Amino acid sequence: MNSLKKQTHYDSIFIALVPIVICATVMYSARVLLLCAAAMFTARVTDVAIAAARHLPVDTEDKSAIVAAVIFVMMMPVSVPIYLVVVTVAISTLIGKHAFGGKGVYPFNLSALSMCIAAVNWPEKVFTAVKPFARVDFWTGACRSTATQSSTIKAGGLPYVDMLDLLTGNYAGAMGSSFVLLTVAIAVCLLITKKITWHVPVSFLTVCTLFALAFPRIYGISRLNSVKLEILSSSLIFVTLFMLCEPDTTPKKPRAKIIFGALAGIITMLYRYFGAYEIGACFAILLVNATESFWDRMISGDFIKEFLARETSVRNTKQSHKKKSKTGKNTALDKPKAEKPAVADKKTEITEEILQNFSADTARAPKKQAAKEPDKNGKKQQKVTDMIAEAEDRLDNVEFSTRTIDIDAILREIDKHSKGGKK
Amino acid sequence: MNKEKVLRELSDWDDTTRRRKITLSNPVFIKGLALTPLAVAATTVQNSFILSVCVLLLLTPTRIVTSAVTRRMSVPLKSFFYPLTSAVIFFFVYIFMYRLFGTKVFSLGIYLPIMVVDPLIVKNFEKTRKESFTYSIINGLRNTFGFILACMITGAVREFLAFGTVCGVKLLNISLLPMAKTSFGGFIIIGLISAFWHYSVKNYRERLITEARKING
Amino acid sequence: MVDAILTFFAYAVLAIGAENVIFTRALGISSGLRVIDNPNKDTFYFCVSLTVFQLINSLLAYAVVPAVAKTPLGEYTRFLGPVIVVICCAVSYMIVIAALSVSVKKSFLKRIIVSLTGASINSAIVGTIIFSIGQNYNLAQTIGFAIGSSIGYFLAMLIIAEGEKKIHEDAVPAPFKGLPVTLIYIGIIALAIYGLTGHTTAL
Repeated sequence: MNSLKKQTHYDSIFIALVPIVICATVMYSARVLLLCAAAMFTARVTDVAIAAARHLPVDTEDKSAIVAAVIFVMMMPVSVPIYLVVVTVAISTLIGKHAFGGKGVYPFNLSALSMCIAAVNWPEKVFTAVKPFARVDFWTGACRSTATQSSTIKAGGLPYVDMLDLLTGNYAGAMGSSFVLLTVAIAVCLLITKKITWHVPVSFLTVCTLFALAFPRIYGISRLNSVKLEILSSSLIFVTLFMLCEPDTTPKKPRAKIIFGALAGIITMLYRYFGAYEIGACFAILLVNATESFWDRMISGDFIKEFLARETSVRNTKQSHKKKSKTGKNTALDKPKAEKPAVADKKTEITEEILQNFSADTARAPKKQAAKEPDKNGKKQQKVTDMIAEAEDRLDNVEFSTRTIDIDAILREIDKHSKGGKK
Repeated sequence: MNKEKVLRELSDWDDTTRRRKITLSNPVFIKGLALTPLAVAATTVQNSFILSVCVLLLLTPTRIVTSAVTRRMSVPLKSFFYPLTSAVIFFFVYIFMYRLFGTKVFSLGIYLPIMVVDPLIVKNFEKTRKESFTYSIINGLRNTFGFILACMITGAVREFLAFGTVCGVKLLNISLLPMAKTSFGGFIIIGLISAFWHYSVKNYRERLITEARKING
Repeated sequence: MVDAILTFFAYAVLAIGAENVIFTRALGISSGLRVIDNPNKDTFYFCVSLTVFQLINSLLAYAVVPAVAKTPLGEYTRFLGPVIVVICCAVSYMIVIAALSVSVKKSFLKRIIVSLTGASINSAIVGTIIFSIGQNYNLAQTIGFAIGSSIGYFLAMLIIAEGEKKIHEDAVPAPFKGLPVTLIYIGIIALAIYGLTGHTTAL
């Protein structure tokens, strides 16, 4: 049911992008469709190739990569080369989506990742703007380009755009991210149909507005005008709707969403004011995506419960050295570890094998132990040391593990078994 | 494949990976050691070569000296003795490399001196097992060549992607992926190479199993 | 005085963000990854210990290196850097252990000794100190950079630990499980932080 809701989200966003692509095509020529087609094709081919490599069936319902590719293209100028779009979409789909497991489980917004990769690799091609209705070569994208409004503001200048043009996107900018009125109308439709919630966009835009109001960076005009240009002249509204509302990379709880949106707003404005690139929002989104699950856990109180449980477990682990449990139970060892079963299983395997070997050795040589009574403790110590060393060597050869062996746990088990053997 | 080799390698896979540290248990791509210099400094084949020479001259001698001297030391004492030994050896290695490479050595900045405390060189202080003299040489050389292989591959790939050259020889006129020369590009590229390495190791093991089944009939 | 305080804060903020120890300079990555999931090492105490050691070692190195430069070994100061720093780390470790053994309970000391040992000497500390020495930072800059680096390291470890929780290990393709996916995750965060500076850092 959860998967169906999320799938509907990408379908809705895909449909929502259609009017934007149409407007972009009208204003910036048919090259917009060529770039969108190249991006969608690359995303699809990458999905299919990875599915084939993993011997999995191709998921025809999965539109996450395609939608992300179109959103990314809409934030580019029409003069951007095709190879840039293809390479960026391929890399972001591979490392941003499939490296983490594919549909529904990737931690970073794909279009934000694509935008950041393109910006750092080819800033001179990404941070240009083309005037609407300019002549653009269909295949090469050659045209007269100019500076973006964001770069003008960053340089301390004053963008000369009137309000109507600002709202309709009729100024030199990216292909699809400057249509403020259209984007707001789409956002309202999505809100009414409950495909997105208001929490993240409202908190994000509120914080951005307050920040711009408190610390205006456009001089020579009133604060309100400065805020208007700050919020409307870049891709902020577009990013708010199409990147910050993705269900896979945002928190699930409403209060967590508000905190998430507010944090994204603060970091976005900091990047805009102090960062090296104009698209501060995309870099900020990557950073806040990393904290997404933390806010859910904090709001639900799980974070504090985990911390307390861990502290109790550590205390119990240390105390169980001294205590000789009559019941033979140990709470620290009984608590299951939630993450990474493969390595945990290997650790358990190794532990159990060592214990079996130790028990077998103990069972095999009771006479020897009886004869060499005075040296028993020394030999046992040596045996334990050898076993730990062997276990360390084995674990060392396990495919990358950040864990070291829990020697205390092994020693306790060995003690428990040796007492069991004696009985 | 040789029948004895297949059965020997499969019967004790742990020992196989321990012996074949260069490929099956590569210290960088499998164990995650020495990531710092590779992610930031190994942006060209030249830089990788300098790092490789440093590790070649540093790792095995450090391992030999520490295995001989630290037999009865406690872990906290070993945790300082290992880096101190490697720092003293590094002093002479650094001077030698300066004579050999000139000021190119300083182009690596802090990433050459910090090899002194890299887990690749000093992580053995945590081990309980005492290393024999022979084992320290063999293991030291295995880890060294494993690192050299990883370092040269990383340097070559990053130089090709970022500059279109390999060993300074221009192969392409364009730069395919300029981010390959940055630290985040380094992380991502090492991650991808590591994934490919894991895949190859798994493939090799599956091939051994297939061969063993064929032998078994 | 005001200048010194402002310089301190400026360099601390720089070290936390744009010059982040892990994401920008990749210092302490290998040891950091080994601490995060180690049941015997407490990440919080590890980072607190690292901060204390970073500060003490930076101050010691700041005092010792110019002194060494004035000796007959002065021309080799650049090559002796690692030796000096390692000795400073050993001295600071002994100071801290001595101070803790008289001021805290033995049980607590036993609990954190593993973190102390690991935090007292690693590439995050050594690299930061060698960098500060190489850049000829003054006292305020050295202290600010040292504290900022440690806080940056702690924040980076929190983000990486959070990332390890987020990553659905069972969904990750087999070749990417473990180290590869962690490195890609760290790389993407490092990309986000790169957006602040827009250029590669000085090595």
